[in-house]
Amino acid sequence: MGTITTSDFTKNTFIEFKGEPYQIVEFQHVNPGKGSAFVRTRLKSLKTGKVQEFTYKSGESVTEVPVMTREMQFLYKEGNTYMFMDNQSYEQFAIPAAMLGNYVDYLKLNDVYQVLVNEDQAVGLRFPKKVRLKVTEATEGAKGNTVSGATKTVIVETGAVVTVPLFVKEGEMIAIDPETGTYLERA
Amino acid sequence: MVVYPVPSGSYRRNFGDYLSCVRRPRIRTKEILSQAKPMKTWQKLHDHPELWERYFIREKVIRSIRSFFEKENFHEIETPILIPHPPAESYLDVFETTLLDRTRRPTPAYLSTSPEVPLKKLMVAGLGNCYAITKSFRNTETQSATHNPEFTILEWYRVGADYFDIMKDCERLLRLLAPSITYQGHKVDLVAPWERITVAEAFQIYAHVDFDEFFEHAPQIAKKKGYAVEKKTTWEEIYNQIFLNEIGPYIGQGRPTIVYEFPSVMAALAKKKASDPRFAERFEFYIAGLELGDAYSELTDPVEQEERFKKESTELKRLGKTTYDYDHDFIEALKVGLPACAGIAVGVDRLVMLLADVTNIADVLFFPTGEGFDII
Repeated sequence: MGTITTSDFTKNTFIEFKGEPYQIVEFQHVNPGKGSAFVRTRLKSLKTGKVQEFTYKSGESVTEVPVMTREMQFLYKEGNTYMFMDNQSYEQFAIPAAMLGNYVDYLKLNDVYQVLVNEDQAVGLRFPKKVRLKVTEATEGAKGNTVSGATKTVIVETGAVVTVPLFVKEGEMIAIDPETGTYLERA
Repeated sequence: MVVYPVPSGSYRRNFGDYLSCVRRPRIRTKEILSQAKPMKTWQKLHDHPELWERYFIREKVIRSIRSFFEKENFHEIETPILIPHPPAESYLDVFETTLLDRTRRPTPAYLSTSPEVPLKKLMVAGLGNCYAITKSFRNTETQSATHNPEFTILEWYRVGADYFDIMKDCERLLRLLAPSITYQGHKVDLVAPWERITVAEAFQIYAHVDFDEFFEHAPQIAKKKGYAVEKKTTWEEIYNQIFLNEIGPYIGQGRPTIVYEFPSVMAALAKKKASDPRFAERFEFYIAGLELGDAYSELTDPVEQEERFKKESTELKRLGKTTYDYDHDFIEALKVGLPACAGIAVGVDRLVMLLADVTNIADVLFFPTGEGFDII
């Protein structure tokens, strides 16, 4: 296992923390009043999906956890578990909802996703910055309402509710940031 | 007149369409903006006028600060931003620039990191109680939710006062801004008295560390807690790591917390506590885990001040950082005599963050540095 320092941190770095594998989901540099710099991180456990904070000294060494990316098809959902299959080996992998976070709202059946695998366990998805989904239900924007910033909510094909500008119509494709669930553009 | 953004990329090719957006501005503009890369703040404001309210909190805060100090008979001082000597604080990265004379002969110059030294020189000259609201600059402080390399700082100094008097000032000033706030879903009551705990008490209560022992055995204590400790790890780093992990996030909930009596090594310009010189008369106050202000009873002894500057300089060299000559003029001023006084630096942007209920400093700045320089 490789050793990295805090300057190598990215949002998708996987590291060992207190002997367990974690994903860095957020990190920020902090300079307390006196003394040197620190890096505040939010770490998601690859075992439980629980998120916790830890602040490292800037430049501190940590052990990187090897995580592979494998293409897999989303098969079905059972309770809080999401089943994926590697179309090459036909191996199936279960990912608990807690590991998928907000992404669960934008998963499409039968679509192929980049699944993160650590020691034969699927631990999450590498989601794109944008997902393109079809609007399946939308009301007409109120006529004559051209107030800048006016919005409405629509439902997309995965069932998620998205806040969009008034001009978005039923049947159109829109791009959404799966991390925050915000509308990005018409796609 | 409303100015519409000239869109980039594919849109520019179709100028006819651009003209039509002038005739039908609202919807078209929105579509153009939705195609753009991350929106600039001015674009967001154009698109969502309801956001203005959040940004106008800043002017309300600044007006309240000025009216508070006017009633207290403090002078407001404009201090220089372009300065000949950076501060002797080893951890700060300063912006360096060059001052040219008419023959273009260069002299090194720096952007101020705090208005402290100029205010103190004027207090030596007899100014009395005073304050400054000014821009300060600290380099490398990018990619942080609570720092912007260019920020607005408020400092005030009270003559004949000590750090306990400044604590009272803080309570009264914040009370003037709001009796209570709701920050990230949690109510914080700003009415005095605030919680007051010493650094040693905070370590005991939150981190279960005996501070007398911590002075002697910090590396062993940190190792036992599971922190990485190497040969080059300093006492201060260990102190900060424990504070940031085990204390900072938990204080200032429900009401503000004043943490006072810092270890002397961490207070370059503060007076040491007479009864226990291991500690200095310094405090910080926290609201909802956010550090807002840093205060001390000011060190007035020129000999000790010069010694500490030299020590900081040695520390800089040890860290392999650029060293600068300290401000000899400031030592001269201290020799003439700085009256006993206490003062504080408060991050105005962070005050605005609290009142605006946002967790990122960029959300209360019209032109956050990261956005302008494209380094978000």
